[in-house]
Amino acid sequence: MNSITFIGRRLLQIVPVLIGISLVSFFLIMMIPGDPVRIVLGPRATEAAVAAMRQEWGLDRPIWAQYLSYVGNTLTGDLGQSLKFRVPVLDLVLQYLPRTMFLVAYVLVLSLPATILMAVIAARNEGRWPDQLIRVISILGMTIPVFWLGVLFARYFGVKLGWFPVSGYGEGFVDHLHHLFLPAVSTSLWLAPLLTRNLRAALIEQTEADYVAASRAKGLPEGYIFRRHILRNSVLPTLNLLGVMIAFLIGGSVVVEIVYAVPGLGALMVGSVLGRDYFVIQGLTLVYAIATVAITLAIDIFTAAIDPRTSE
Amino acid sequence: MSLVSVQGLSVTFASDKGPVAAVRNVSFDLNPGEILGIVGESGSGKSVTCRALLGLLPRRATVGGRILYDGRDLAGAAAIQAVRGREISMIFQNPASHLDPLMTIGDHVAEPLRFHFGLSAAEARAEALKLLESVRIRDAAARMDAWPHQLSGGMKQRVLIASALACKPRLLLADEPTTALDVTVQAGILQLLRDLNRESGLTMALVSHDLGVIAEICDRVIVMRGGEVIEAGLVRDVVTNPQHEYTRLLIGAQPGRLPQMAEPQEAPAGLFELKDVAVHFPTRSGGMVRAVDGVNLSIHKGECFGIVGESGSGKSTVARTIVRLITPTGGRVMFEGKSVGDLAGADLTAYRRAVQMVFQSPFDSLNPRMTAQQTIAEPIWRHGLASKSAAMARALQLMDMVELPRSFATRRPRALSGGQCQRVGIARALALSPRLLIADEVTSALDVTVQAQILRLLTRLRKERDLTVIYISHDLTVVRKFCDRVAVFQGGRLVETGATADLFASPSTGYTRDLIAAAPDMDQAMAERA
Amino acid sequence: MTDVVSPAPVHPAAPRFRHGTIEAALGAALLLAWLIAAFGAGVFAPYDPNALDLVAMLTPPDAAHWFGTDHLGRDVLSRVIYGARIDIWMGFAGVIAPLAVGVTVGLIAGYFGGLTDTILMRIVDITVAFPFFILVIAIVGVLGPGLVNYIIALALVAWVAYARLVRAEVLVVKRLEYVQAARALGFSDPVIILRHVLPNVLGSITIYAWTDAVMVILAGASLGFLGLGAQPPTAEWGVMIADGQPYVLQAWWICLFPGIAMVTLSLGFILVSDGLSRRLRVSA
Repeated sequence: MNSITFIGRRLLQIVPVLIGISLVSFFLIMMIPGDPVRIVLGPRATEAAVAAMRQEWGLDRPIWAQYLSYVGNTLTGDLGQSLKFRVPVLDLVLQYLPRTMFLVAYVLVLSLPATILMAVIAARNEGRWPDQLIRVISILGMTIPVFWLGVLFARYFGVKLGWFPVSGYGEGFVDHLHHLFLPAVSTSLWLAPLLTRNLRAALIEQTEADYVAASRAKGLPEGYIFRRHILRNSVLPTLNLLGVMIAFLIGGSVVVEIVYAVPGLGALMVGSVLGRDYFVIQGLTLVYAIATVAITLAIDIFTAAIDPRTSE
Repeated sequence: MSLVSVQGLSVTFASDKGPVAAVRNVSFDLNPGEILGIVGESGSGKSVTCRALLGLLPRRATVGGRILYDGRDLAGAAAIQAVRGREISMIFQNPASHLDPLMTIGDHVAEPLRFHFGLSAAEARAEALKLLESVRIRDAAARMDAWPHQLSGGMKQRVLIASALACKPRLLLADEPTTALDVTVQAGILQLLRDLNRESGLTMALVSHDLGVIAEICDRVIVMRGGEVIEAGLVRDVVTNPQHEYTRLLIGAQPGRLPQMAEPQEAPAGLFELKDVAVHFPTRSGGMVRAVDGVNLSIHKGECFGIVGESGSGKSTVARTIVRLITPTGGRVMFEGKSVGDLAGADLTAYRRAVQMVFQSPFDSLNPRMTAQQTIAEPIWRHGLASKSAAMARALQLMDMVELPRSFATRRPRALSGGQCQRVGIARALALSPRLLIADEVTSALDVTVQAQILRLLTRLRKERDLTVIYISHDLTVVRKFCDRVAVFQGGRLVETGATADLFASPSTGYTRDLIAAAPDMDQAMAERA
Repeated sequence: MTDVVSPAPVHPAAPRFRHGTIEAALGAALLLAWLIAAFGAGVFAPYDPNALDLVAMLTPPDAAHWFGTDHLGRDVLSRVIYGARIDIWMGFAGVIAPLAVGVTVGLIAGYFGGLTDTILMRIVDITVAFPFFILVIAIVGVLGPGLVNYIIALALVAWVAYARLVRAEVLVVKRLEYVQAARALGFSDPVIILRHVLPNVLGSITIYAWTDAVMVILAGASLGFLGLGAQPPTAEWGVMIADGQPYVLQAWWICLFPGIAMVTLSLGFILVSDGLSRRLRVSA
């Protein structure tokens, strides 16, 4: 089987997932305890107003019909109206999305080089002091709550020392980098240790692989074996983890966006939850899920390109 | 002068129970142009010795003694690194795991050439093609860009050999190079090694557990046990006139030297009937694997029926179909006039008691969390044949029967040897007093001396308990000694079947003839070389 | 087909040093200390965690208030100790609920395979398509903020990790010959699953669960911080950090101590997980 059919089959597998995602986001609204219309309109709404809104939302129709029109609307880009901002949800998403994407990319740019460096140093010194030190750092990194670190950083580096702005997104690329530096660093301090642990484990596992012994028997130098064989074979498992982590990161960005008042999707999400802006919650959940599926797909295709075994 | 001289080699591994000596004071010489066999059972230190020559031991190993190559002392990493690949090279047991899955065949062979000889990519590639042809890879030019997983086991081992020989080393260390391969493939690899030795004077050290393999291509042999060399000499002398008691035991345990255990019956009565049995599995890509196809067989009461074949022949699938672990997709298995596939409820329970199985892997066939006694007792009380305590008592009797000391009752599989685990497996199978016992490669993971004991045990149990036995094996020599009748399988089909003596004397198909010819046998190899 | 076999390991299985014992012990000690603090909060905490003292607002750490007081004059030390009750409870409940769901699904999907497996794994695929924290926030947003709804959200979302892990292990174990032997011996499926399969997949689940507890606690505290988890005036560490955020420049102690508490508790869980996995890898 060649790579084209692999990608084709992989795309086909996504269809049921997309249907499932639409079902989940559709039924999310159904989980609201009580009548959403009454919650939105408040206890003093008249029966007529309630009935009018029910009709406007289509709640008087059978559930399958509601679902079908939901899917139809979604496919045409209509994610409903924000109850709070009185604008289409899609407009809100498009307005807030770039900031979160910038933040995620920023975090990856900071984390990945550090991860690879630390993991390689640790793996090549397995059991010796550099490895132990990196292990301690990575364990600590996993236990430190990002929002706590964020609060401390914002006040110390932001307010007290005044090195970085502590809220907003700024204007222009350089200003973005400046504004988002602290959020990106606090997130990286959590992400890099997680990735390091996994890459280190993969590297060490590959170091003990049989083909490494075979390469040594052929007289190939250690440095070459590490670069050409061990590193390549360790990339695959780490790549998969990275896909999971990016999805996690999109979710994790919520907290930093709140701490540093970055007007991104996460801040929008929390605002909507606190303000009971149900259609924004629903739309955002859908957008997040589609983004995750796209990332997973990209990673799978990338993996298939590297690994000759997956496209069999 | 000898090419390699090993003097007082010792290897110790650090462990939490203190240092463990794997190799103790081993000395031997390798003469230019010879093939030296290193034979021993598991834990004898033969592989560790071999790896120590190239400094391929893990970091926690401490190596003592001297290794001289061409008069130079291979002390220290730099000295070893200098000979690796260019002077001494090595091939391994499991070719699949010793090839980098992300590197093409051609690159595997070209890699050392570029490194040691500084060839350009194009030169190295041209040279690699020649090397692949020299190890007789068919259509080598087309396979240069193939990935390791696209090749069969035998082909992978040839690639490994080509890659090891790329820089024309003078010594090749071969660590169980054919153990993971089928017998016919093994014969091809051994032939290749022998030719390399004859044509280019390549010196070799061949590590093997199999004296049959050693006898086929080695000039001299050293016998190892418990980390020490206990005997050394010309293969002929060692085989015909072993000095050490253990060597005698090892030679006596060779399948070809075992006593004839088969007892063909006078008036056979049918017990099982396989009628046109087929097992097909759908594959991921929408195709169909015909694991077993159109098999007709009858198995007689009280006989020992052998099923032989190479990997992928479908012999294990047949066994699993008979015990109803697999439902056939076509045909029927008949037992006492009933179709096994249709059994349900009490009939099925009765069938489960009547037909039992012993498995290949000694450790994987026992639940690691249960003691030997619990494992043997479990079927008895679960089938309601006795209370739990009575079952535990009965388990002890079963342990006596399989000659397992009662003091092992509370041990878990990890604290038992392979042979002991197999005895537990046999006792568990016999706990329900079955009439048919299927033994699926039960001795293939065991040392030959242990194999001989297990075969003797099975023969005794067969007589005492009036058992019918189906013995599945890739080892024709064992089947020849142990079974009354034999069926030969290939590619999911029954090739031929008949009384053991007749089939071996006059095989009616070419495949069976090849299989018999390829089976390594110590005595036959000695006779042929005389 | 694995007809051909290897007769022996390449070199004798020399066990490594008993790595991990010290870490596991250290982690267990940390956890034990926090458990004692949580259960004995009434004894150890010098003040009522919710007692307002408007005279002693924002007092720096001193002899009377070791960890100082917050903007309402509440004793930070007492609130940290009482907070352990909430965060530890969150860690345990938040692991056990998804674990129970995930292990059940994983066992069934892996053991029976076929259509059951396909359907269950599709549900898993769909659930993992949502970023974990987003789906939790969405569910909490719909059900309403609060700790119990957080645990419900976890049970609905976090089980997939356990299901995947268990299923993968079951697929391996189910092919092992002792499970085949159990089937050939006529044992029923529940007996095989519970007695022969489950005990042999528990090891890796346990290790994952300890790490998962850290994630559950950190995510739960984050929710508390965002105002979506435990509700004020509950003494929960995340809530306390949110309370202290506006005062962090003049009263750093309000934020600092709950954070340190969270790090040490998480450290306990991770060290146990790490120690166990190293030991398991050695003996495997």
